Amino acid sequence: MMSVLVFFAALPTVWVLIMSFREQSVIFEPFWESPLAVTFDNYLGITRSEFPRALLNSFICAGASTLLAMIVGVPAGFALAKSRLSGKFYASWTLLLLRMAPPVGFVIPLFLLYVNAGLIDSYFGLITAYMTLTLPLIVWSMWNSFAQVPDELVEAAIMDGASLGKAFLLVALPAARPGAVAAAILGFLIVWNDFFYALIITRSTTVTAPVAVMNFISYDSVDWGSIAVASIALTLPILPLMVMANRYIVQSLSGAVKG
Amino acid sequence: MTAKSTKQVSATADLERGYRNMVLPAVLAVGIFAIVPLAGMLALSVSDYHLLRGTNWEFGFKNFVRLVSDKRLMGSVYAMAVLSFFGVTAQVLIGAAIAVGLSKIVGRWRLGRVLFLLPYAVPHVAVALIWLSLFTPTLSPINAFFDLFGVTVPSFLTTQNGALFAIVLADTWTNFPFAMLIILAALQGISPDLEEAAALDGATRIQTFFYVTLPLLIPAFLLVTLFRFIDSLKHFPMIFVMTKGGPGRSTQATNYYGYIQTFQNSNVAYGAAIAVTLFIVAAIISFYVAKLNQRVTS
Amino acid sequence: MKKFLSTMISAAVLVGAAGTSTIVSAADEVNVVMFGMPYTKGLAALADDFEAQTGIKANIDVIGQDVFENRITLSFTGKSGDIDVVHTPVIQVQRWVSANWLKPITAEVDAMAVKSDIMEGPMDAYKIKGEQWAVPYMAATGLMTYRKDILEEAGVEVPQTWEDMLAVAAKIHNDDTAAIAMRAVPGQGFNMFIFPMVMRAYGGKFFEDYTAGDLTPAINSPETLEALNVYMKLLNEYGPQGAGNFNFAEVQAAAQNGQIAFAVEGTGIAASLVDPEKSQFADKTGITLPPGGPAGRSPAIAVHGLGIPASAKNPELSAKFIEWAVSSETMTKIALAQPFSNFTTQSVAKNADVIAKYSKIHPDFLAVQAEALNLAIGHYRPLLPEWPALGQAIGENINAALNGLMSPEDALEAAEQEMKDILGQ
Repeated sequence: MMSVLVFFAALPTVWVLIMSFREQSVIFEPFWESPLAVTFDNYLGITRSEFPRALLNSFICAGASTLLAMIVGVPAGFALAKSRLSGKFYASWTLLLLRMAPPVGFVIPLFLLYVNAGLIDSYFGLITAYMTLTLPLIVWSMWNSFAQVPDELVEAAIMDGASLGKAFLLVALPAARPGAVAAAILGFLIVWNDFFYALIITRSTTVTAPVAVMNFISYDSVDWGSIAVASIALTLPILPLMVMANRYIVQSLSGAVKG
Repeated sequence: MTAKSTKQVSATADLERGYRNMVLPAVLAVGIFAIVPLAGMLALSVSDYHLLRGTNWEFGFKNFVRLVSDKRLMGSVYAMAVLSFFGVTAQVLIGAAIAVGLSKIVGRWRLGRVLFLLPYAVPHVAVALIWLSLFTPTLSPINAFFDLFGVTVPSFLTTQNGALFAIVLADTWTNFPFAMLIILAALQGISPDLEEAAALDGATRIQTFFYVTLPLLIPAFLLVTLFRFIDSLKHFPMIFVMTKGGPGRSTQATNYYGYIQTFQNSNVAYGAAIAVTLFIVAAIISFYVAKLNQRVTS
Repeated sequence: MKKFLSTMISAAVLVGAAGTSTIVSAADEVNVVMFGMPYTKGLAALADDFEAQTGIKANIDVIGQDVFENRITLSFTGKSGDIDVVHTPVIQVQRWVSANWLKPITAEVDAMAVKSDIMEGPMDAYKIKGEQWAVPYMAATGLMTYRKDILEEAGVEVPQTWEDMLAVAAKIHNDDTAAIAMRAVPGQGFNMFIFPMVMRAYGGKFFEDYTAGDLTPAINSPETLEALNVYMKLLNEYGPQGAGNFNFAEVQAAAQNGQIAFAVEGTGIAASLVDPEKSQFADKTGITLPPGGPAGRSPAIAVHGLGIPASAKNPELSAKFIEWAVSSETMTKIALAQPFSNFTTQSVAKNADVIAKYSKIHPDFLAVQAEALNLAIGHYRPLLPEWPALGQAIGENINAALNGLMSPEDALEAAEQEMKDILGQ
């Protein structure tokens, strides 16, 4: 069972790796027929294109918007899980609303909003737009994570005279750490592969990688090799980040949350 | 006695105010950027705005009346329902299976879980192209491999069910890591003590999983389903790259149909009406999922 | 309610019209937006030349076609004024003019020295309501490549008609090498770039009498039905596996892999298949006109040009840029640096280096291309504002028939009805 899943997850990855090293003219010839037609041209071509810059833009935007969304969203998730506020459900549900509308419906109004706010092709505009993508996810998943932290823990801290802020930072947050790390990773990745907002808000300065990938599909050709390299380039920077994050998720295995 | 209870009441009120201040920034941050586009979309959907004909500033529910009798809309809803149902189900099940598998792994292979996240980092356009090449018989290494043994793998993208299956598979490949990560985090939030206690009481490992672990994972399942469902209503890049809506119109999911009306047919108002309809459907369904989630978590 | 809504829509949707937009280029810069093809990439690489000659900085943004279509729709409906020169495909120009997105540039074009050097047909394709709306830089046509070795082995000639093609295909088709591949995915630039070649060869047409202005749809004629049956038979019986979902990329890859004998494609792909640097079968591949039929031969044509958006802030600079971009000097440089043979500035074809370059790729290439251009009719795909919508609807029905979702008769009947709906008849 597990091996079938591993195969499913790995097959396209291996295929992309093979494509990335193949010469353009034999890219779809079965690789066992011409195993020597290997080239680094696709990789060299990418370094000479605008793609590295787009990759950096993606990194800046994903990092900044995730950080901001965590600062705003984690306390919100905590409050939703622990308070008895009457309208809290509706407040959280409105957070979801923007994610629900299909982009075709609101691209034109959204574009006009950004044009008139002077935010087209600016990092600030893009980062704030991305907060609307990441916040709902972070708030909702932190709500779930904090719900698993026993109420007594927080109440005890407050009884002992801790302020709400302290109880949140020193008691609840450490207990919900795996959830927080997972939420941050997902927030980062959602922005990392967003196409839609980048399509509308970016121009040549702030263009992000998923939009830049489209440049390899031109009017009468598809540059498969470059697309394969671009896909690899988009996953590589994620690796060190994940390895770091992995440590935090794993720590909880030893029982960060004792019920 | 009275003094103490007043103090308690005001302490509770302070606490509640504190909580409210924690939620407010998040609602405001999203609200500001959400309200204008949403209001614009609603306004467009009841307008007569057409890229070629402009607008006569006539408002009404014409677009929605037309939607009711639009046969192509029904076809698109079918495609969307298939893509959403099978896609989300596959992503949740595969994500959960891998998460459970990975959570049992300790030692240095632990890092292996990172590899399962990679598909999520590939942009959808590239995912679609990768799977397009895997599903096109003349390009695919799978077909070439089976050809060595004289076995012909059928062509998927030229039949309705095959094309829908191909899109579901591509969508699942790139999105199962989302489900996996959330479920993995939830699994690790579960205290090992609970499972140990169950084991001491004589439960088998399978019993422990189904009676102890699984119920605790329900909120994570609901969360994943909710988010993946919302996103699945916006299917676009996979369809656009893999099938262009074909064969015929059989993979034109509703969002793609809205795109055609807006950008090909210039009918911005009608496209917005399609989007609003989808928005309402998503809002209603997610309302109930969210309510369910709230009941489970509290 | 009505007032509230109009306030909303004017506030939220059409604010841009008031001209309050903020993304405007600096006074001595032009922002050029184009989608990726050899010419546009070549032009972007020459931006410094333009600045050196005129002191004007050109920001040439070459983006994916899909990104392009979304961005310009937004920029033009929002009148954001951030584009000074825009890539204008002839297939879109009618729609853009109807939506008031372009600026008429008759006077500007008349003042250009290069005007008389540009091919008349493509230039006229941009004339609407007596005004010039863009200047062409390229005209791609439909061409056919064929594997000489396969034809020789089977002892057959290059087919001149689609009827011949059916006969030849039946002889050469086998499990390893299919006879033919063509674009099949639905879309006005995909199957509807290719299918009209078959349709017109059999005398099929889109309208009763397009040139006389009778726009009654006539796609359900027996001629078009016959053509559709030929197109379907070729792809379903003599095409590679999965041919019903092929786009240009799959056609190109199949030919590069040696999986097909014939490819009917546009200039760009056809040229890549006879270029030894791009295809390992190039030396065995010949290039010729696409087949014809009882009603003659009508190669596909796609013209691309440069226009000035209505919202452009500085049209004089835009016009200066266009004049430089289509000048013989700039065009020659691009033709030499890129696989760009379908230029519309005629004097480029006289350049000895250009002739040498493209003759080396394939000796017949330039001659075949010129002949195809000569045979092509300007309204190969009707020049109407509604064409993108019409082409999409017809293309979807043709693809449905091809893949067996409906009979060819029903598909054409449905296309006829949908054309009427789109045109409001």
